[in-house]
Amino acid sequence: MADAVFLALSVITIGSAIAALEMRSLIYGSIALMGTLGGIAGFFLLLDSPFVAMFQLAVYVGSIAVLILFTVMLVKRELIFKKIEDKRRKFAGIALMLIFMVALGSVIMDSGIKSITTNEPAVDFRNIGADFLTYYWPALILMGLILAGSVTGALVLARREDIQNEQRTD
Amino acid sequence: MSVIAPNFKFSEFVKSILDNLFWILLIFTLVGIPAVQIVLFYIEMPVIDGKLLTPFLALTWLADPSRTLPILKAFMNTDLFRIAAFPGFGFAALIAAGTIFVERKMLAKLQLRVGPFYCGKVEGILQLMGDGLKLISKEIIIPAKADKPIFWAAPVIFVATAAAFVALIPVAPGWVVADVDVGLLAVFAIIGFFPIITILSAWSSNSKFPFIGGIRALHQMVSFEIPLILSLLGVVILTGTLNLSEIVESQTNFPWIIFLPIGAIIFFITILAELERIPFDLPEAESEIVAGWLTEFSGMIYGLVQLGTYLKLYAFAALFVVLFLGGWTGPMIWPPFPEEIITDGIVMGPITAKIPGLPVFSQEMLNGVVWFVIKTVGVIFFILLPRGVFPRIRIDMLLSLGWYKLIGLAFVNIFIALGLLYAGVLGPGGIL
Repeated sequence: MADAVFLALSVITIGSAIAALEMRSLIYGSIALMGTLGGIAGFFLLLDSPFVAMFQLAVYVGSIAVLILFTVMLVKRELIFKKIEDKRRKFAGIALMLIFMVALGSVIMDSGIKSITTNEPAVDFRNIGADFLTYYWPALILMGLILAGSVTGALVLARREDIQNEQRTD
Repeated sequence: MSVIAPNFKFSEFVKSILDNLFWILLIFTLVGIPAVQIVLFYIEMPVIDGKLLTPFLALTWLADPSRTLPILKAFMNTDLFRIAAFPGFGFAALIAAGTIFVERKMLAKLQLRVGPFYCGKVEGILQLMGDGLKLISKEIIIPAKADKPIFWAAPVIFVATAAAFVALIPVAPGWVVADVDVGLLAVFAIIGFFPIITILSAWSSNSKFPFIGGIRALHQMVSFEIPLILSLLGVVILTGTLNLSEIVESQTNFPWIIFLPIGAIIFFITILAELERIPFDLPEAESEIVAGWLTEFSGMIYGLVQLGTYLKLYAFAALFVVLFLGGWTGPMIWPPFPEEIITDGIVMGPITAKIPGLPVFSQEMLNGVVWFVIKTVGVIFFILLPRGVFPRIRIDMLLSLGWYKLIGLAFVNIFIALGLLYAGVLGPGGIL
């Protein structure tokens, strides 16, 4: 049963990833990207971590895909992309991808992933949170600072001095 | 006189009904009896209590309440019943239908109009049915150069997403379709789907007004999701769980609105914005952009979107009840099931009917449902009320409200919750 679900999820994830790259319509491409991200959420569900799966859905499908969709809708495609298509580029891309995947696969296979026992109960997300707040607290604070810095930077970049507030605010 | 059917004659109406009855009986005889014979001939029937279970015997048993009640109770414990009927779709659709009627009638009274009046003789009580029939019988018009697959799929996915939201709501102890461990996170994940569907359907109709409405809806939903999520963190901090049923059980003594009123108010305002209701109905501002992202929908596609909208309204109101008003908890007001019916059976003169399997629902469950429905209807009333009172606000005021005021207040709410937790008043191991 789990194997069938795993295979179906793999087909959905990889298929929609390829579709996201290959589709000529950018809107459909971003919908396919949503399929990929949702498929990854499915993998997290299969791995007994619904917490991560729900965050994957809420953050990636719910926010980042919306941003991509929004950007794509407001942009004229012809202005930013030049179509360069020939057979050689395509085959070179596929070959590069294969080499990359084989290299990555061999690295993963050589690592200790085979010796992991699989029937252990999943780690509770509360334990992960407790670890973050106790043992890994410098990393947590660093992440918080980086995020705060990037948000502040984005606000500064988005701010425009030349526009006066023309409308009443009361 | 009626212009819809000018040649209406009552005698012909009766004749047509009798004709239909005749044909139904004829077809039933010609098809039904051979079907029973085929079943008897080909299928090996089981022997129950020393009797062969023929279709006739099965029908006799079905007509006997002492035998049907256990079957009914077994059916009510199946997933199908939960998804389709009670805590799931049917219950929510019933409340949604009631909401639509009450909204129209109440809005009319607030604005000194009459409202629905003719359908069903009594105060237009059948108006909704009439509207549904009208929508079903209307043609679905797809705009030229519209993106057909998305245009067709968006309303269906909208209803499906709203139904998935409904499935997470616990109505009574143990009565919930999907009792997931991370229920609140699942709610956040599902809410995130609505802006995608809105903007896709708006884009796919290839029309200006829907696109403007869709962009506005996207702005509004995305910017109000953040205070929505932040305002609920206080409850999560105090209960220490994300499961909605456990959150309800933590409120047996007092609802969280007593300690987190700021969070409740923020959540209520964000509900209004997420549901695109006045004063935040910019995405479908009918005086500016016709009907916003719903402009090009017609026929039953529009009906589906309306159904999804009201399912969403019920789900948000129920979520407010579950998180802040204590869900199904409340004093016991439902009378207990009479003992003598269980022990002696129902006595009617000389006849005594002993019916095993009673009572069908436990007293706790019925009491919980009553309290849940009372609270939910109250919250829905307060969601409907601003429509008759407030004007629509501008989009820059909406965004500044969402980004500056509500997010700031949500952090105040989180600090109140943290203060209560660390002072040892509430939460795990607290005084109360």
